Amino acid sequence: MLSYADRLAELRKTKIRHTLEKKEQNGYTDLDDFGTVPLPKDYQVTPWYNSENGSFYGLDGMSENFCRVLNAHPAYVDPMEMLCGRWRDMLVNYRGDLHYLPKWLKNRPGMRDFIEKGITNQWSRRWDEQRFPYDDLKAAQKKYNITSGIDGDAHFACDYRIGLSLGFGGLLQKIRDGRLEHPDKKDFYDAEETCVLAMLDFIDRHVKEIRRQIPEEPREELRDNLQEMLSTCLAVRTDPPKTFRQACQWVAFFNCFARIYTRDGAGFQLDGLLYPYYERDRENGILDDETAKFLLANLLLIDPHYYQVSGVDANDRDMTNRLSYLILQAAEAINISCNLTVRVHPNCDPAFLDFAVRCLVRNKNGYPRFCNDEALTQGYMRCGVDKATARERIAVGCNWMCVPGREFPMNDTVKINIAKVLEVALEEMRGHPEKSTSLLFSLFCKHLQAAVETVARGVELHLDHIAEVTPELIMNLQFHGALEKGEDASRCAELYTVGVDGAGLGTVADSFSAMECRIEQEKVLTFDELYQALDNDFADARIKAMLQSAPRYCGGNTLGDTWAKKLTTAFTEAVRQQKMTGTRQLLPGWFSWARTVEYGSAVGATPNGRKAGEPISHGANPNPHFRQDGAVTAQSNGIAAVQCGYGNTAPLQLEFDPCTDNEEEAVSFVTRLIQGHFSKGGTLININVLDKETLLAANKDPSLYPDLVVRVTGFTAYFASLSPAFRQLVVDRFLSGSR
Amino acid sequence: MTGILTDIQRMSLHDGPGIRTTIFCKGCPLRCDWCHNPECISPTVQTLFYPEKCIGCGQCNEGCYTGARVRCGETYVPEEVLRIVSEDVPYYGTDGGVTFSGGEPLAQAAFVQKCTDLLQQAGINVAIETSLFLYDEALLSRMQCVMADLKLFDEAQHIRYTGVSNRPILTHLRALDKLGVPILLRTPVIPGITGTEENLRAIAAFARSLNHLAEYRLLPYHPLGEEKRRALSLPPHPFAVPTAEEMKEYQRYAELC
Repeated sequence: MLSYADRLAELRKTKIRHTLEKKEQNGYTDLDDFGTVPLPKDYQVTPWYNSENGSFYGLDGMSENFCRVLNAHPAYVDPMEMLCGRWRDMLVNYRGDLHYLPKWLKNRPGMRDFIEKGITNQWSRRWDEQRFPYDDLKAAQKKYNITSGIDGDAHFACDYRIGLSLGFGGLLQKIRDGRLEHPDKKDFYDAEETCVLAMLDFIDRHVKEIRRQIPEEPREELRDNLQEMLSTCLAVRTDPPKTFRQACQWVAFFNCFARIYTRDGAGFQLDGLLYPYYERDRENGILDDETAKFLLANLLLIDPHYYQVSGVDANDRDMTNRLSYLILQAAEAINISCNLTVRVHPNCDPAFLDFAVRCLVRNKNGYPRFCNDEALTQGYMRCGVDKATARERIAVGCNWMCVPGREFPMNDTVKINIAKVLEVALEEMRGHPEKSTSLLFSLFCKHLQAAVETVARGVELHLDHIAEVTPELIMNLQFHGALEKGEDASRCAELYTVGVDGAGLGTVADSFSAMECRIEQEKVLTFDELYQALDNDFADARIKAMLQSAPRYCGGNTLGDTWAKKLTTAFTEAVRQQKMTGTRQLLPGWFSWARTVEYGSAVGATPNGRKAGEPISHGANPNPHFRQDGAVTAQSNGIAAVQCGYGNTAPLQLEFDPCTDNEEEAVSFVTRLIQGHFSKGGTLININVLDKETLLAANKDPSLYPDLVVRVTGFTAYFASLSPAFRQLVVDRFLSGSR
Repeated sequence: MTGILTDIQRMSLHDGPGIRTTIFCKGCPLRCDWCHNPECISPTVQTLFYPEKCIGCGQCNEGCYTGARVRCGETYVPEEVLRIVSEDVPYYGTDGGVTFSGGEPLAQAAFVQKCTDLLQQAGINVAIETSLFLYDEALLSRMQCVMADLKLFDEAQHIRYTGVSNRPILTHLRALDKLGVPILLRTPVIPGITGTEENLRAIAAFARSLNHLAEYRLLPYHPLGEEKRRALSLPPHPFAVPTAEEMKEYQRYAELC
């Protein structure tokens, strides 16, 4: 008889096999694992293009193609699992978005031609430029290397309470009622209905596949499991879920739909929303903790969404419950790539923080990570929201928070490469007779303002028209007001607190520090010599070393730290002072996601001794080798001091080897790091606790470590799936405690 | 009042309890052949030279920026030490804090005393790593713990390999024991020298006689000091690194009971 442990071991084996097959199909993917499974060989989608530019948009384009992609998805039923369903492909692949396009699709006949003709400098054909052009913004976007967010990912979160209480049938009814109430929004409701009906078909295909497998399954316990899986699917097909297993299955299905649509969607407060089902089933004697744990592991296997656990409610009461522990235990048991965030607050049970850190230290796979409730809540309240709302704004993305079902934040899709802004400012200062860091900084601020204005116009364009380009047909289902009003989430949100991230803080802070130190304080270099060195990409190794060895950001109250704080103030002011339409407002943060290599390639040599084209610094992190002893605490303090303070994050990204085999000692070190960073105002810690030896060996030959999971930025990924450049990025960030 | 230091190392995880900031004092009366901080022996400013980092620019006198020539030894006032240390206070918890190490911190006892005044006034734990060749009862009695080495029990051997007699060290250890300060006694294990059955059994027997011994630990020799010896133009003096198996064997000799 197979135990849960046996089945989890089998699922892990399958996952490793899938990871290797996906790498074969997709090539290197510097992205989240997403929980996808490989495509079957005969998989084929013929998209319907409703635009003259060869792409598809709007209610009809998106709903029709959602159905085509969803219908092409075979059922995924593994008798070892308790839940079923997986996603493999997404709509946006068929709009020629090179950034995400997998190798298998790039190599399809005709696709290469399509890509080459369709590509623009940014999102390719994801945006309907014929109807909503932004040619007037492109020059400035290029000048400042801006990721505009125009048709960026749907980075907001659903309120799963809506779907879990209504079920797919209830949602369908709500759509039909809405159509009767708002006949003028018929197209909207038709599109929504089309999508939900396709979802029901998808569930039906699973029902059929389970029925096919039951008589073929030789093992009695798995046959029973398939029977139960069948009942679960039938129960959640239209009715709202009633049991814990049904709730997990409902979430699993919905996640597949949201992912197939735009790769997005987001998780939720996992221990909060599922707890009533858990509690009821326990009371009714139909659920034990081992089964709950297996179901949670299964849910995480199906989709490693960003889920938050623990934290406090609007009245500062601890929300940690039995399920909070089971979720971490489930993740530990399945031991795959996951994105769990533990919300830390002084009122939370310290035993849970200890437990969470223990999981991180023991498993060494980059999760859970930790966010600071106090700093995030206080920060978001400065945007004019009440405390209860600020508390609902949970960690559901790489670096980002969102109020589920109420906020449309475009988080992590809008970025300004401030290293590029520095380059523009330097160029303007070139002909000036009185060069100085003070003049350069004022020019930098001027161009930063121009960059923010460009960003703001892009954001306005996106918010004004995204509903006509990529309506959120799936996430609308669980967004307050969408089905009630017949409006897209992008148009009916209560909160438009749009994140704008600066990228390259370390590069720019170190550049200013190097100039002030070597040119103005020590006078061992002149600005003319600096320009010459930048122009010839540091042909003179001495000048490069001179600039590189100047006091760096995160060195510990250095000139670099002073500049980083000054840049943060300037960036925050520029973003916050930007006027927006209506209730829209911009929120500053420091984060580069996985774009440090790409952004670096657009920037020439910089005064911190960085050569042209080399990666810029990552997020709020310092440049590698920022301090001789690599002091984690100096980095922690440096990053805590550059928080923008409006509820968005400047994460501490940490790769750390505590250099001890003693688990208690390692747990104590990491706990103190978390508490220390948060006491200084830090917002989010993305942490890898790992063995340096293992990491270096895996970097040498990743194929020997197919199940090594690392936290790349906000997301975790299989190390073997990352490109060599990204593997190096993780290795370069590595720090250890001083021996 | 000033002290001469080679480094203030943050986030030290192995220089006493918890997360610590380690202050490396420059100057030591011992001359241990295996010293892993040879730059801390001389009490004066020195220059370390790492030829592999030299780019041959020929402008050494105008400043070296590549890390080929590194000035070793900076003067600090106690207030500056407190300022730097204060940055890490949020990470110390109840057991972490500052450790004075070196070199020999007791060779700069007045400076360490003044720093300790300031640190303890700020509520920061202070510990010390010392050879105990020197002794300062007033200072040592204030320590959270004292980490002391007992390298060789035989006096002649001790003189041969460290340049000094171990009699003062043994005397100071007994005196320290009377103060009631927790003692963390360590022996660096150099196979065939400190790493002998006779030596380790003798030291363990001595350790057993201490009333306030918190721990006796063997530290395997590591050759980290060799690179710094080269940088200081000192002749190489490598020793064998004990294997894990050998360490197990040594551990048996060093059992306290």
